Amino acid sequence: MKIERLLFPTKFGEVDLNSLESLSVLKDAGLKEVILFYVIPREEVGFVPYGGYLKQEEERIREEVRIRFEDWQKSLSAKGINSRIIIEVGEPVPNILKIAEKEKVNLIVVGKKKKVAHDGPFVGSNTLQIITRSKIPTLVSKYLVQFEHEGESVTRTNDAIFKRPLLATDWSEPSERALELLISLNGLIEKAFVCHVIGVKISKSIDKTELHRIEKESKERLEKYCERLKFAGIAAEPHLGAGRTIMEIIRISRDVKASMIIMGTTGKDRLHDFFLGSVSHRAAGMSELPTLLVP
Amino acid sequence: MKTIILPVVFLLMPFSTAFASEGAPNIGETLPLYSVIPFAGMLLSIALFPLLAPKFWHHHFGKVSAFWAIVITIPLLIAYKGAALYEVLHIVLADYIPFIILLGSLYTVSGGILLKGTIKGTPIVNTIMLAIGTALASWMGTTGAAMLLIRPFLRANANRKNRSFMVVFFIFLVANIGGSLTPLGDPPLFLGFLRGVPFFWTFNLLPHMLVAAGILLIMYFILDTYFYKKEAVSAPAPANQSTKEPIRLEGSLNFLFLLGIIGAVLMSGMAHWGEVSILGVHRGLQDVVRDGLLILMAALSMFFTQTRVREDNAFTWFPIQEVAILFIGIFLTMIPCLKILQAGAKGELAFIISAVREPVHYFWITGLLSAFLDNAPTYLTFLSTAMGGLYTGAPESEAIALLIKENPLYLMAISAGAVFFGAVTYIGNAPNFMVRSIAEEAGTPMPSFFGYMIKFSLPILILVFIIITLIFFR
Repeated sequence: MKIERLLFPTKFGEVDLNSLESLSVLKDAGLKEVILFYVIPREEVGFVPYGGYLKQEEERIREEVRIRFEDWQKSLSAKGINSRIIIEVGEPVPNILKIAEKEKVNLIVVGKKKKVAHDGPFVGSNTLQIITRSKIPTLVSKYLVQFEHEGESVTRTNDAIFKRPLLATDWSEPSERALELLISLNGLIEKAFVCHVIGVKISKSIDKTELHRIEKESKERLEKYCERLKFAGIAAEPHLGAGRTIMEIIRISRDVKASMIIMGTTGKDRLHDFFLGSVSHRAAGMSELPTLLVP
Repeated sequence: MKTIILPVVFLLMPFSTAFASEGAPNIGETLPLYSVIPFAGMLLSIALFPLLAPKFWHHHFGKVSAFWAIVITIPLLIAYKGAALYEVLHIVLADYIPFIILLGSLYTVSGGILLKGTIKGTPIVNTIMLAIGTALASWMGTTGAAMLLIRPFLRANANRKNRSFMVVFFIFLVANIGGSLTPLGDPPLFLGFLRGVPFFWTFNLLPHMLVAAGILLIMYFILDTYFYKKEAVSAPAPANQSTKEPIRLEGSLNFLFLLGIIGAVLMSGMAHWGEVSILGVHRGLQDVVRDGLLILMAALSMFFTQTRVREDNAFTWFPIQEVAILFIGIFLTMIPCLKILQAGAKGELAFIISAVREPVHYFWITGLLSAFLDNAPTYLTFLSTAMGGLYTGAPESEAIALLIKENPLYLMAISAGAVFFGAVTYIGNAPNFMVRSIAEEAGTPMPSFFGYMIKFSLPILILVFIIITLIFFR
């Protein structure tokens, strides 16, 4: 698993270019091409009540987007990264997912790059839909965030996201794939962290002996993950947590000063997703760190 | 701000004074003629803004609709108080809400059916697709049938050079004429159903529909064959056989929900379970149950249809939201017009009632106005005109029953006029603009508003309507 082609959908938010530029380090990990993608919402140009389609408006938006993308391309080109522009009319979520599959990208970068209000989770509804449905690793980029920490408002710029990644594993196959992806980022990582959380459900339902057995087994598994990272030349440190899974992951990420969280994500059934969402999706919503989700 | 508000208040003052000075219980007999101005303003806004200021209209149509609705509702309430409030609540609860629920449920359910596969757009195949769409339109609504078939139709003909005429015939047949057989087919017929026209009564329009659709399908086949032969010289090589996708329907479960909708509407037309009072408006319990079932069918469709199917259909709520926003304005502004017409010779629009006398008049006047205004309010307006003229003062349900029994030709003329003439312009019926929008987005050049009329609808449709007149309404 290697990131050679990246899809960067944008609405030209305030710090989107900064976010894109911060990803240019991926060139050292094999990135060859960035696809710059813009979706003109169908409602902007189509279905004019009793009118029809605003073709001229579509052309005007296309031209505007092209000019802005070409400016971005200069920045990418200066860093030696090839890029292409794709502009489509449609709906953001399905169009992003379709183009990602069609272009065979290895990573989709989604999410608001700037989130400074304290008014909700770090992912919006479109981002949530994409990370829930994508079959391709998806990075929820949070370039500039503001959040409450110990009663204070903290502003953080996530501009060196691959330096200190935290891999949160539940030993699943997607977690394995997340580990492989992490290994592929070899040259970019200063130190990696691997964590596993023994959830409340488990600790509540078993006796002390069984808990100790699971604790021991988890530590061994964490060591194995770290060994694989070390074998690939990446310094790694294990962390075992216990309690409410998401809160623990966020606590550990803050304790170790992680720069990003990377997790495997499994598809749950529709009802479960609808009412609860998976741990990885909720972590993406609650953590102030960029979150890389690997299906 | 004052510069905007003051003239509006100034304009409204004489209007509300006129209301206040009268105030009789039967408001249709006392409403002044100029109380229909907001209705005309609303319909003219729909007709003219998309042509003259499409971008403004696209972003502000809701405000325009709200403006006209407020301009009429507030003075009406001030002048007629309880009587006006009753009329407003009645039109919202008994007409607008069921109307939007039916359109919304048909739109939602049909948006969950996806026709996939490689179809080659030959004249025969295209004609068959149009015929199927025409037949489906009465059962899944003109909007539903159009949304189901327009994308496969466009894909089938993507390699054809001349496509504009195909989409125009699609609008004629699938988006309009096909919807004439049941109240599900076209909004005006559902409004008639809500007012007491039996569900299967509209089947009386079968001969009219067969004649119109038959002529149009033959014309289409001849035109398409001509262009197909002409284009064959420069047509691209046929697609690689390996890329051929078998034709299949996805989301077929939605046909079950469609049956549920048909069943619910049928049930409400047959059952009589007593009445319930909602905010003082009496509604049949069966109608309330029907609305609940329609919402249930839409919800089940949403839950059981794969998201991908709707996405491949480019399903979005926007068109139905537009209809909901515009139609609340239409329904509220048309109250005075309907009431005056129902007052017959005692109302200010008595001159219309005396001028429109024969079924042929109703067919053409309902039709011509339906072409340029929306056909649903136009239908109701002339239904009220006919009832006002023939059964002045009779309660609505009684007048409709008498109209069907004694003068069915009038209702046929109004129904056929409202449905058929909706195809004459892009603004005649809601699916017309949706089809145009989808075709243009897919790269099919469509004629302008006047181009559509001059090149297609006037020379073709008017000829068909003359034949219909000679056969059925002479």
